[in-house]
Amino acid sequence: MSRMEIYSPEGLRLDGRRWNELRRFESKINTHPNSSDGSSYVEQGNTKVICMVQGPMEPSSRSQADSTKATIEVNLSVASFSTFERKKRSKSEKRMVELKATLERTFEQSVMCHLYPRTLIQVDVTVLAQDGGLLASVTNAITLALIDAGIAMYDYVSCISVGLYDQTPLLDLNGLEEKDISTLTIGVIGKTEKLALLMLEDKIPLDNLESILGIAIAATHRLRDLMDDEVRKHGNVRASKLAKN
Amino acid sequence: MSRKIEITTNEKTYFIEALKNGIRLNGRQFNEMRTPSNIFLSKDEYGYIELEWGLTKISCRVSSFIRKPFEDRPFEGIFNINCEINSMASKQFENGKNSDEEVLISRIIEKSIRRSNSLDLESLCIISGEKVWSITVDLNFLNFDGNFIDIGCFGVMLALSHFKKPDITIINGGKDIIIHDINEREPQPLSILHIPICLTYSFYNTSQNVEENIKGESDEDAIYLLDCDYKEDLLKDGSIIITLNKNREIIQLSKNGGIPIDVNILLDLSLNSIKFVNELTDLIKTLIKDHEQQRFTELNLKLLQVGADR
Amino acid sequence: MDVTEVINITKPSRSRGYEDEDDDSDIEMLGNNHNDGEFTNNNSSIVTPGELITEDPIWMKGHGTYFIEDKTYSSVAGNVSRVNRLLSVIPIRGRYQPETGDHIVGRITEVGNKRWKVDIGAKQDAVLMLGSVNLPGGILRRKSETDELQMRNFLKEGDLLNAEVQTIFNNGIASLHTRSLKYGKLRNGMFLKVPSSLIIKSKNHAFDLPGNISCVLGVNGYIWLYKTNLNNQNNNTTNINIHNNGASPAITRLEEESSWEIYSDKNDSNITNAIRSNITRYYNIIKALSFCELGITEPRIIMGYESSLSYMNVGSLIDKDSMETICQEIINNEKMRG
Repeated sequence: MSRMEIYSPEGLRLDGRRWNELRRFESKINTHPNSSDGSSYVEQGNTKVICMVQGPMEPSSRSQADSTKATIEVNLSVASFSTFERKKRSKSEKRMVELKATLERTFEQSVMCHLYPRTLIQVDVTVLAQDGGLLASVTNAITLALIDAGIAMYDYVSCISVGLYDQTPLLDLNGLEEKDISTLTIGVIGKTEKLALLMLEDKIPLDNLESILGIAIAATHRLRDLMDDEVRKHGNVRASKLAKN
Repeated sequence: MSRKIEITTNEKTYFIEALKNGIRLNGRQFNEMRTPSNIFLSKDEYGYIELEWGLTKISCRVSSFIRKPFEDRPFEGIFNINCEINSMASKQFENGKNSDEEVLISRIIEKSIRRSNSLDLESLCIISGEKVWSITVDLNFLNFDGNFIDIGCFGVMLALSHFKKPDITIINGGKDIIIHDINEREPQPLSILHIPICLTYSFYNTSQNVEENIKGESDEDAIYLLDCDYKEDLLKDGSIIITLNKNREIIQLSKNGGIPIDVNILLDLSLNSIKFVNELTDLIKTLIKDHEQQRFTELNLKLLQVGADR
Repeated sequence: MDVTEVINITKPSRSRGYEDEDDDSDIEMLGNNHNDGEFTNNNSSIVTPGELITEDPIWMKGHGTYFIEDKTYSSVAGNVSRVNRLLSVIPIRGRYQPETGDHIVGRITEVGNKRWKVDIGAKQDAVLMLGSVNLPGGILRRKSETDELQMRNFLKEGDLLNAEVQTIFNNGIASLHTRSLKYGKLRNGMFLKVPSSLIIKSKNHAFDLPGNISCVLGVNGYIWLYKTNLNNQNNNTTNINIHNNGASPAITRLEEESSWEIYSDKNDSNITNAIRSNITRYYNIIKALSFCELGITEPRIIMGYESSLSYMNVGSLIDKDSMETICQEIINNEKMRG
């Protein structure tokens, strides 16, 4: 694929979006009310993720019980049919271990773990389809599922990927773009400018960092609003149901 | 981390209190690096180095052999970094079992050097689709005094710059190759496109309550330390690893959890880091140059060179 | 290039209910004008994590909140509750939070030193001390070492029991007791789990239902449906008689009842098919109530039972349609009765 196509001179990208345009973001919470304490489903473009949270609950092994705070365990499983080419991925793959550790450490800070001593919060994430922005979608899904489970958090953690084409930052990359240009994934706490999570795997010029971060933070704030709408919508439905009783 | 080494609450309070007053317990400035010492560049073989950085000690060996390339990349050589951390370094690392910590360390070193193409893989191709050089770096941590990532990355880059692969000649119209012994013909250095330098900043929560740090507006009390040592490493509340090169390119950024940091701080840190990157890059270059010079005079290569010129 | 502007396209649906939707394009280009949330938030009673609840420092901070410099924020999604000066947020969903006096159903997970661990669906397992159960041979007997050794003969892993929450330790673990005849091991029936938020606390959580079925409606959302123990009823009647005679049989009767039988692992032999199908019918009715997210109470279960009698086949009650019909009937019934 030639590099020209990534961002046309008219300002359109491969899928017809503009540089500062997000993909369709859709989320649902409480998708599995009977099988988990909290659950969510997130679609960012063609990346689709299901997340379920169990807990806080009694840990199955003593080693997971911390007398000062809750332990968060993230299990990330990527379905073998999630990419165009069918491929079995093992959980012991280095990349998976890294993502798992990153997610666990991020949420250890944004969840009020000290309120739940000696308990385990188990987060199971299943990636159904991936088309770029995997870490971002997974993070957003976990945030929603944790909120659904009624676990206390300081604020939403919203996450987005940004790339850089020449001098132009491109927001929310899809799979094709992600292959070709370098990607920065950031996670922001609520409406602040504090970064909870940061991951860049390819080269970008230092002097462009500021503009990329600027647009990325604006995008995470937008995502926070979108997630917040979903939580509110769901909450109001529940509240009206309870009011009927 | 398998066996946690406990630090008492009082010790931690003392440490944080000292930081608040602008004092690091090891006497360094907040953004002062330790300097590498006792750097050993092997004279007998190419690509073996040892170095000490504070009390952290590493050894690094580069080895090469010829093999068939991967089918999907017939023009590219193969490059691997093999990171070994065991309980020799510190008892917090367990033998034989890869903890998350270790995977993260090796992943970041790998990302910084391998994924950023700092080694020109195409120059490692001998006959496309048939024979390429495979370069493996074995990184061993001998003692732990904090900051494995920065030091490991520096060590690997130094070893790669030091390494020379044997010269070869292609014969029979590209069917066979002769590998010349390094005593027979002067071996060739690897083609290194840029030198990535990792810098790890550790963060400490100095305010009373966590809430302040996570959502508060003030970021005056954010403290970040460059190149933390053993104790600082255990007490840190979060860290960020920035990898840069001399061309002002960010190669890798990673923040795996820990307390959130403000964007402005991130930008400040990245801009400030350039200074250290330049220093360390120059250090690698001078070290290699001096080493070459030394070798040159010791082995009396001058004579040979004159002969070749004629 | 203004870097703070983000475009996103959302479905032209009600998904953004309270944004005005009068523009004719299906593309909504939203600026950063989203309401950050004030105390009187856009007419919805729900607050979400990170939302500012109040800047007034007079409020005391309760559960589900945190504060930075006198500003109180919510940490969960739920409804704000104000009790005097205490401000707290009650999450919409969440695990069962035990409170002293709750009548609950639990399952033994571990037999330990002088205590059992009981899963009650809370954040941590509850404990049941050997000293807080009735042992064979009467309530007033001291617990001996032999009792300690044969703890597994009384209650073992996997057994279900109903109990009352005695206290909550300051680390949040609940301590249970079964020192009453209505508590103890559960037999002759079927277990069912519903979200604990659907159980409405009332005076009585164990009751008999039409059709010779009894029910323990644990406050923690664990429910036990079983065959009504006829002996028990007979005893009760005799009991009253004795009362009338002026005697005080309580202790002696406890002794009688605290025989090994109360820890028996055997179900009664005379459970008829009619009883079994009745239990299933109640099971499905409670499932239906939980499906429609109606609060579960004794009258509602009975009403549901009555309206379900039109379905001959108990199994057909799990159809979505019939669940909804039954719940609708229950609601209508309640309205009629006021």
